[in-house]
Amino acid sequence: MNLLSFLSFLILAITLLTMVFGVIAYFLYKAREKKKENAKLSYEDALENEKRELLFFTKE
Amino acid sequence: MVLGFWLTLYSVNNLQQIYISTTNNFIKFGIILIFVFTIFIIIRYLLLMFFSILQTIKRSADEDFSFYKTDIVSVIVPCYNEEDVIIHSLKSIISQTYPNIEILVIDDGSKDQTYKFAKKFEFHDGHKSLRVLSKTNGGKSKALNYGIEHAKGNLICCVDADSKLDPYAIELLVQHFKNPKIAAVAGSVNVVNSDTFLTKLQALEYIQGLNMVKNGQAFLKLVNIIPGPLGMFRKDALMEVGCYAHDTFAEDCDLTLSLIAKGYKIDFEPDAVAHTEAPENLLDLLKQRYRWTRGILQAIKKNRKFLWNLKTKPSISFVMWYMLFESIFWPFMQIWGDLFMLYLALSTGTSQLLLFWWIMFTVLDVAGAIYCLLLTKEPLSLAPYAIIYRIAFITVINIAKIFATIEEWFAIDMNWGKLERKGRIG
Repeated sequence: MNLLSFLSFLILAITLLTMVFGVIAYFLYKAREKKKENAKLSYEDALENEKRELLFFTKE
Repeated sequence: MVLGFWLTLYSVNNLQQIYISTTNNFIKFGIILIFVFTIFIIIRYLLLMFFSILQTIKRSADEDFSFYKTDIVSVIVPCYNEEDVIIHSLKSIISQTYPNIEILVIDDGSKDQTYKFAKKFEFHDGHKSLRVLSKTNGGKSKALNYGIEHAKGNLICCVDADSKLDPYAIELLVQHFKNPKIAAVAGSVNVVNSDTFLTKLQALEYIQGLNMVKNGQAFLKLVNIIPGPLGMFRKDALMEVGCYAHDTFAEDCDLTLSLIAKGYKIDFEPDAVAHTEAPENLLDLLKQRYRWTRGILQAIKKNRKFLWNLKTKPSISFVMWYMLFESIFWPFMQIWGDLFMLYLALSTGTSQLLLFWWIMFTVLDVAGAIYCLLLTKEPLSLAPYAIIYRIAFITVINIAKIFATIEEWFAIDMNWGKLERKGRIG
């Protein structure tokens, strides 16, 4: 394998991996934001989201 | 540059051979798109660098240090939960060399000790003064407008609470207003915490973005965004366009577009520097870029009528097309180009083309980085980061931009997404 072929393969692999990493990073960011949002959810907001009159909690 | 030119010719020649030999229409269409995209990018690079060089020459020829110091400058500092940084920011504003400054700190309903910390700095010495005003939380644009309402100065300087100014910043910005057509001047933004791999990449991005892009735009007096950390406005012009609007997440971009649409000119002062914290982890960086992208798209959407005013309002039309190119066309084409090159490599076995295509853009990036680093006298050790910037950083950022564009297209709910401060500006 000559140097050009090796470098071409390297760039190809890095490009592919970076793209996969970019997509994963974006969804990790979205998941983190969703988690943060849920953490500060009030009872009234949760009630509104669930479209129910009452919410029941189970004791762990 | 010679290497870049040679690689361009090589890549074009290779693509031409594949185009002639293939019967696959998808590949033919892809090659045409890649060719058009590459031409656009090279023209954009060369034009911005050319205008930037011209602007630097023009600036050094025009340099006039006879500042006028009679105008009162009202410095507005909107803040929300900024207790870690507000003290450093206020100290840097108070120690400005410009003598007539009225500082208005607008506490936008902070839940921490921001108000208490800022209140300790209140003073009035006849020339300079600092007042802290408090209001219920309503967002940055409303806080800025509240400050503008209470400002006495003819010039309004907006400063982010997480930024620290160089002592001459305001004095340098003021001199641009000798030209009555200038409605606003953008300051330069420098990353203060460039001590990690990620923040070094951002530092390089800021230096290139400001000194090549903004300096180039300043040659035409059509800078398209006044950055949040530092910008100065003529109060009359702000009043004429109704100050900051509240319907986008990029209020600075929206305001700048409104000013250009009114026929005003927007300048850039590279030596008026605001030092600001850059996100220190990738997810925070994506959060910042997500908000910027959606905000800019909202501003473009709001002002879309100007896209077709090429004859009646060429300035705003040109700026709008440029922004559309940068925020939508470029990220989509870069990712699409990479995917297409991958497909081409896997289907035709010509993986060298991807290598040469990548080297071509990297050569342009490194050349741009060296030019900007030399211009700003920043350490040249940042230049190699341009290679990483091209191979990984820009791809990750562009993927986030594409997702943000899709979410904006489908009008998915979003919030401001305030970044947590680390207090690095001290």
